[in-house]
Amino acid sequence: MTRRGITFAAMVAAGALALTGCAFGGTGNGTTTTLKPSADATGKITIWSWDVAATALKRLAKEYEANHKGTTIDVVDIGYDNAYDKISVGLQAGTGLPDMITLETDHDQGYLSQFPTGFADLTPVFGSMKADFDPFKWDAGSDKDGRLRMAPWDSGTVGMFYRTDYFSQAGIDPASIKTWDDLVSAGETIKAKLGKTLLTADLSAGGPFSMLLQQQGQGYFNADGEITVNTPEAVAVMTLLKTMNRKGLIKNAKGWDASVTSAKDGDSAVTPEAVWWIGTLEGEAPELSGKYAVRDLPLFDDQSAPTSNNGGSGLAIPTQAKNPDLAAAFMKFVLADDANQASMMKNEGLFPAFLPALKSDFFQQPDPYFGGQKVYQFFGDLTPKIPSITFTSDQSAASDAITNAVGAAVLGNTDPKKALDDAAQQIATATGRKIAG
Amino acid sequence: MATELIVTGRAHRRGIPSRARREPLLRRIVLRSPVYLVLVIASILSLIPFAWMVIASTHKTSDLFVTPLPILPGGEFWQNLGRLQESVGFGQVMLNSVLVAVLYTVFSSIISVMCGYGLATYRFRGRGVLMGIILVTMMIPMQVLLVPLFQMMASAGWIDSYQALIIPFLANAFGIFLMRQGFLDFPTTLIEAARIDGASELRTFYRIVLPVARPQIAALIIYTFISQWNSFIWPLLMLNSEDKYTIPVALNTMIGLSRVDYSGLMLGSLLATLPLFILFLVFQKQFVAGLLGGAVKG
Amino acid sequence: MTASLIVREHGTRRAPGRPRTGSGRLTARRQRPGLWFALPAAALLLVFFAYPLATSLLQSFFSTKGGESTFVGLDQYARLFRDPLVLKSLGTALLILVVQVPIMIALAVGLAYILNQAWVRFRSGFRLIAFLPAITTLVAYSVVFRVMMTTDGGALNQILGVFGAAPIDWLNNEWWARVAVIASITWRWTGYNMVIILAGLQAIPAELYEAARIDGAGRWQTFWHIVVPQLRPVLIFTIVTSTIGALQLFDENFILTGGGPNNATLTPVLYLYKIGFQQFDFGYADAIAWMLVVLTAIIAVIQFRILREKP
Repeated sequence: MTRRGITFAAMVAAGALALTGCAFGGTGNGTTTTLKPSADATGKITIWSWDVAATALKRLAKEYEANHKGTTIDVVDIGYDNAYDKISVGLQAGTGLPDMITLETDHDQGYLSQFPTGFADLTPVFGSMKADFDPFKWDAGSDKDGRLRMAPWDSGTVGMFYRTDYFSQAGIDPASIKTWDDLVSAGETIKAKLGKTLLTADLSAGGPFSMLLQQQGQGYFNADGEITVNTPEAVAVMTLLKTMNRKGLIKNAKGWDASVTSAKDGDSAVTPEAVWWIGTLEGEAPELSGKYAVRDLPLFDDQSAPTSNNGGSGLAIPTQAKNPDLAAAFMKFVLADDANQASMMKNEGLFPAFLPALKSDFFQQPDPYFGGQKVYQFFGDLTPKIPSITFTSDQSAASDAITNAVGAAVLGNTDPKKALDDAAQQIATATGRKIAG
Repeated sequence: MATELIVTGRAHRRGIPSRARREPLLRRIVLRSPVYLVLVIASILSLIPFAWMVIASTHKTSDLFVTPLPILPGGEFWQNLGRLQESVGFGQVMLNSVLVAVLYTVFSSIISVMCGYGLATYRFRGRGVLMGIILVTMMIPMQVLLVPLFQMMASAGWIDSYQALIIPFLANAFGIFLMRQGFLDFPTTLIEAARIDGASELRTFYRIVLPVARPQIAALIIYTFISQWNSFIWPLLMLNSEDKYTIPVALNTMIGLSRVDYSGLMLGSLLATLPLFILFLVFQKQFVAGLLGGAVKG
Repeated sequence: MTASLIVREHGTRRAPGRPRTGSGRLTARRQRPGLWFALPAAALLLVFFAYPLATSLLQSFFSTKGGESTFVGLDQYARLFRDPLVLKSLGTALLILVVQVPIMIALAVGLAYILNQAWVRFRSGFRLIAFLPAITTLVAYSVVFRVMMTTDGGALNQILGVFGAAPIDWLNNEWWARVAVIASITWRWTGYNMVIILAGLQAIPAELYEAARIDGAGRWQTFWHIVVPQLRPVLIFTIVTSTIGALQLFDENFILTGGGPNNATLTPVLYLYKIGFQQFDFGYADAIAWMLVVLTAIIAVIQFRILREKP
């Protein structure tokens, strides 16, 4: 065979292989099976998770195995940092995924729209319990036909943590702050009297932009899939952040560790953050016990909610799962059970998205770290008020654009409206969507 | 004038000959201390991150982020070690890494050496095409090859196995390239002599060429071992059982959603460096000589 | 038998790739054993890389949205020209190529030259310390750098503080972020290249230096006319491999800056990773990848040509 002959043959062979073997776009995922969760399901399942979520699942898995003969539940910690690579490759390849995976809520819609046949319909498991779950999480985990595919697990209900000592030293009554503008004035006073900044934020990662946007019931997209990053509400948030930074009220801390350091160092008077910040404060800064309290977020106007969401995860069953029925049964055990959800709060710091669990005793206790305030009850009352927003599959592209916009407008000199218009344009170009309004 | 220079494994005269024997002591100190200063500064820069790793390994994570930073090692070494073992089973993980790296290095080196030799010494049909494919494999970003390779592993039923880590990459483009460069200047007189004596190509290769090329092969072995030892993305995608994890994958699980167990992570990373450290120490002479041979080609 | 390598002075010019068989032109039949030697590698490459390479090329002619793939011909390649981020990421990669690689090679050569002085003690120790950064796991060293470069209270800024300098916003400022990425790459690979170059230096026999001294050459002249030419093959090797590394940069900026702030440290491979694994448009990611392959090949060829033909 001539050299050219060999080359040609190789290319033809490769091409043939490619055409027959490949499944672009993950269409090779399993057929839609109907889940039948039942306490009698047996066999083995594998679950992927990370961090404390994995710890919680391992603990509950043992309990389940003890009470259900013939079941084996293998929880694998795949690490958080590159977990989505593993999940994405598995979905794209149509194979390689376990019986259950953990997903953060803000990834739900992205996967749902790219892999419409990738996840099992969880309606047979939780269908009648919609009212018992955090409404924002339920919506985020449902596909466009309203079928739940990612079950809510823990909520990232947002409140405003504040240093009671700073406020009293500055002579400000925290209860008098109703709006963000009130907070800014308070911040100026605190800065003048105590030299402390108002809040700590990670401005190079967008800061609390999306949190404050969600407070106003808005996401980066609307229900029609149009881009909403340059609406008046969004501009209001950006202007607020810019003003705060201009007045020297923001401490810019990049990354998790820097935020923790900032809290330990007592830099700022308030921290708008999700409920899991309780665990962080108590774990990393025990020396500040008694100096903190929590209240709801200041409002923009009458329409805004006193809370928002930051973080939290859910569980899903890929259609590739080998033992979906046992997976479904275990999922119900973990998520829709008062005692189990409460135990996950107690042991792993996961705040339940299952609302009935919030009524149990654990959540009624006063917390000495917060001067005896019943913080869990407080967040529990806020959770049903979290506004639902639309994510879409282009969430990460939008997120990137917003991060840049915050950098330009808040850290730089760009006008907020212009920065957001640019971001909207960028997202439109990258995704082909229309800009709303 | 084309000069042929022979470098022996043990150079009897290294570097620029010193005129310093006749120079007075003071002059020597004045001239030489800047040089040592530069070297020491460079070494410090090189070691600063390691210093932090040592400090982190011997403290509690929560103590690491205060101002001012602790600068001396703390006393938490054993606790961190215990936690490392408890949370990721580090002992088993180290053994896993050793197993995979050794197997990979042995087989991959054999293949690279053979292929490099073949490419360098003979001109056969398809040689150009093969070189082309090898170069493209080096130049294409691995990220776009992940999904198709993953599908192949899944079809073969190799997910969560060590075959999947080792076999697909046995033909290591860089290793082949390195060996080819190394063999390009091989003294053909030796090969000719063996041929005249009637030895077969294979025997020539085995008996004559390999022993002479030992330094290059040592270099290849070290390079191959290091690249497999630190390999991260592919084992992450392939391995689904925690007791099969290799070191980078296990360490990665210590980077949590919001919390990072820095002390454990740094301790694990330091321990992971030890085998490589020892390997380099043992092979140092070979490595240096080998790289020299491999690289000093056009 | 002592290991010996024969080094020909590169004054003789040779066409690339041809084995330097001075005598002994092997007949075609004699060449065939080469095929057998190369066969295992070739077979492995064919089995394990033909399919992924072909798939990635083929997939670059498709576009994927919402789980559906449609054939779009060369549109993904045309998109490369419309996409400002492609240009930006290429610019960053080229910036790194033009800034980081020369600095690193210069440092490596300088350090190797110093270490090569006959009177230097602890040479092995310094060499080992220099090599250490290259054998650390990526996970570890990126985390360490990210922590050390924290603006407030990070180790680097604390050290700067000791010298009275103001803290630098390493990872939040566009230009400093680029500096941070370049610094971390340099930290990691300088020692590795230094060890290679040092080996090359140590192969230069003393006789050449003697000859230059007798001819009355000064230190600088000796360096330019003896040392550098002898080092050329080593330098080519390190320059070409560093170039490929710079163009394909992913690890350092992925973990340190995520490509930010504002895409200041976005490189082509990081961009295609985001397109593929976050937006799931693998066809476009493949187009970017193949564009990069072509570009890298062109630059490599140019480098080979330039570096070889220098007198």
